[in-house]
Amino acid sequence: MSEERLARPDIAEMAGAYALPRKSGEMVFHDEWERRAFAIAVSLAEQGQLEWREFQQQLIESIAKAEQGDPQNPSRGYYESWLASLEALLRQKLLLGDRVD
Amino acid sequence: MSEHDDDHHHDAPASPYHRSDRSAEHNKALAERVAKIESLLIAKGLVDKGALDKLVDIYENDLGPMNGAKVVARAWVDPDYKQRLLGNATAAIAELGFGGLQGEHMVVVENTPQVHNIVVCTLCSCYPWPVLGLPPTWYKDAAYRSRVVIDPRGVLTEFGTTLDDNVEVRVWDSSAEIRYLVLPERPAGTEHLNEDQLVELIDRDSMIGVKKVRLS
Repeated sequence: MSEERLARPDIAEMAGAYALPRKSGEMVFHDEWERRAFAIAVSLAEQGQLEWREFQQQLIESIAKAEQGDPQNPSRGYYESWLASLEALLRQKLLLGDRVD
Repeated sequence: MSEHDDDHHHDAPASPYHRSDRSAEHNKALAERVAKIESLLIAKGLVDKGALDKLVDIYENDLGPMNGAKVVARAWVDPDYKQRLLGNATAAIAELGFGGLQGEHMVVVENTPQVHNIVVCTLCSCYPWPVLGLPPTWYKDAAYRSRVVIDPRGVLTEFGTTLDDNVEVRVWDSSAEIRYLVLPERPAGTEHLNEDQLVELIDRDSMIGVKKVRLS
């Protein structure tokens, strides 16, 4: 297996409150849909269909909103914020507009 | 760094996202939203089901410390493999299907009753991802990076690892070119375990060298 680097560090190594939830390096997914939502966003980013920085910005805002009350007890799960960000970006970029960029 | 001395974090604080208390209905609604996006994007040819599966596999499985544990367990049960691993770690690790970072050479250092190895990256946070996944927060901390060189035994003690005075401690500084992996000692009392069972025992910290593998 001598392919190029496996995962994008700007995605895999995001830091701070919006870092991918991991335990000892292992990703934490509670449900299959979380895994799918993760994969869709990363796949779009890896193909250049979605600007990761833009998605990340959206995610930061989404998570900040969820953590407004109490950062230790966010109003929704990480991947719920992730999904909300993905939907928002797709509404802007792909689904409601004709432009795909 | 002084603020870390009394309260050295050995891992990131527990994330609130490590637990989930959603109802089945809520989950179902969320799953439907994701399925809707997925089918729309598939229809537009923007995502591919197979590619999605492969991608999750990469981020989820290829990056964890599990790969390193498999390397260590193989070395424990197969003396020839261990020989190859200590001779040319990059090639021996690739035998198990792990690797892929460019310009990176792996070096495996073996713990013995006389020698204990610890890995650090004093400059930044060079780390052997293909075998260990992402580095823990403390590995990137200035506290660990500087102190492990000056006082490795003190740092080991903070991790609950005490060594006899006659054990030599070697600290290995990773770089962009060379990344180290510690081959921990196989604990006594594991003679009856098979390779898969051994894998379960081997954790990330033992392969960085801050802990020993324990039979627990």
